[in-house]
Amino acid sequence: MNKIISRVYLIFLLVILYLPIFYLILFAFNEGDNMGAFQGFSLGHFRDLFSDTRMISIVINTMLIAILSSLIATIIGLFGALFIDRLKSKRAANIYLSLNDVLLVSPDVIIGSSFLILFTVLGFSLGFMSVLLSHIAFSIPIVVLMILPRLQEMNKSMIDAAQDLGATRIQAFNKVVLPFLLPSILTGFFMAFTYSLDDFAVTFFVTGNGFETLSVEVYSQARQGVNLEINALSALIFGFSLIMIIIYYLLTVRNKKSVRVGKGRII
Amino acid sequence: MKKILIYIAILLGISGGLFYIDKKINEPAKIKGNKSLIIYNWGDYLDPKLIKKFEHEYNYKVVYETFDSNEAMFSKVKQGGTSYDIAIPSDYMIQKMKSEHLLKKLDKKKITGLSNIGESFLNKSFDKNNQYSVPYFWGTLGIVYDKRLPAQDIPDDWRDLWNPDFKKKILLVDSARDIMGMSLIDLGFSVNTKNDQELEDAKKNLDELAPNVKAIVADEIKMYMADNEAPIAVTWSGEASEIMNQNNYMNYIVPDKGSNMWFDNIVIPKTSKNTKGAYDFINFMLKPKNAAQNANYIGYATPNNQAKKYINKKQIDNPELYPSEDKLQHLQVYKELNQEYIEKYNDLFLEFKMISK
Repeated sequence: MNKIISRVYLIFLLVILYLPIFYLILFAFNEGDNMGAFQGFSLGHFRDLFSDTRMISIVINTMLIAILSSLIATIIGLFGALFIDRLKSKRAANIYLSLNDVLLVSPDVIIGSSFLILFTVLGFSLGFMSVLLSHIAFSIPIVVLMILPRLQEMNKSMIDAAQDLGATRIQAFNKVVLPFLLPSILTGFFMAFTYSLDDFAVTFFVTGNGFETLSVEVYSQARQGVNLEINALSALIFGFSLIMIIIYYLLTVRNKKSVRVGKGRII
Repeated sequence: MKKILIYIAILLGISGGLFYIDKKINEPAKIKGNKSLIIYNWGDYLDPKLIKKFEHEYNYKVVYETFDSNEAMFSKVKQGGTSYDIAIPSDYMIQKMKSEHLLKKLDKKKITGLSNIGESFLNKSFDKNNQYSVPYFWGTLGIVYDKRLPAQDIPDDWRDLWNPDFKKKILLVDSARDIMGMSLIDLGFSVNTKNDQELEDAKKNLDELAPNVKAIVADEIKMYMADNEAPIAVTWSGEASEIMNQNNYMNYIVPDKGSNMWFDNIVIPKTSKNTKGAYDFINFMLKPKNAAQNANYIGYATPNNQAKKYINKKQIDNPELYPSEDKLQHLQVYKELNQEYIEKYNDLFLEFKMISK
């Protein structure tokens, strides 16, 4: 009985979460021009989307910003975490960590508007660079927060052992610390990536001069009723993420199997 | 370490690829035209096919940028750093830009086809003798209503909006000038009045309308009316024709007592670097066939009288979209107010908005 209730509950939750998305995707195939009523099946909006070079350019810009900002933020965040971890004084480490957390919890609107003020005071023109810089800035705390716990978890005598065996400090870092941190570095990267991809508030303040990301573009369309091209795009993005997740799932299943086989051989 | 370097290399590779694609997308257009023409216009306010045609005929590359309010356009042009060759502001904004010396004076010798424009649309108060601007589209402010309303409730004058039957049924467009103007016209005053007493009266008049107001909204009015969210709305003719396209039960009227007549005109900002191209564009848009194609696409009324024979029957036969000369006489054009009165209009409207909530 309990099992049935929990299953029903789960299905109910999933339906509520996914229903709006599927509703959105359904209308991507609408023959009509708005979300008012479904008038018949058509691929017209996908055709519009692919011939709309401005929209494609916006999607590419969004991806570029996400990849580059999360890459750079991961590198900076990694060194930030190493720095905090290496601090001798517990108090100093706590202060740095709190400063890091403040950035994480402060509302995007405040971060965005302060960046806008900063850029205009410096006379920095708004566009690709301003968006990239601010995305890097708000991604760093996330990366630090992902990497630091793993780093603190690490048994520091592993480094000593490596150095005892003749490794230089750089070699110890490359061969011991980095491989140990790799999972958390990847998590940090993907967290930063998703944050950047769907950030609206900060981006809204620092875009300009014809440069736009997807979230800002969708918002500016929303005032006049969203073009169904956006639905078509959402359908594609949803499909893409679904495929990526399936691939990821298949890969991990295979990895687990191969690990088991490996162990078996050793025994 | 090696693994991480490989990851980084892959990511940089993808980024490089995306950069390249982005460049490629924006490139072919650049090769086509030897000179570019930058048009700064309202969103979706020019048939994209006409841009293609213009690029083809005159061998320019058109860059089309959009704004969503006259004020946004104004500050961008004034700030400098841009080089728009063509902009399409509304009437009062043209007067303002003119007084701030942001516009180039038009050389009439370089313009062909100005005679296609109807007399009623030229030489308006905001730009005497059309020294700076050429009419692009024009329209009115009026009432959109649901034809299914009981016959005695069908509005044909502003006064009918005050009908107690319409409790919480009216949508108003969120524009201080237009709604204050509506109230002023209802009381028989000018929409450009600077008489404090008349403005106070207009505000009081609006307060009495407050119980009937369902909401004061911006562009969403189109969506709401198309979805039958309200039976009555006060909005512009262009919006109205889109609503009527989507919802057959809706109709639009311009009260006989008078209304605002607005213009969006083509101007050449001071910042223009391709003035020859700007004149080419003006002449291109003055050609009757092009003007008609644009009007058919946008659904607004063209001031180009020669174009009328090419316009959809549904549009041209609509007396509210193309009113008679007689009705045109009753329409008033907004004039630029000074800062003090802009604020006064806005403040009074804001007070009204707070009451109606």
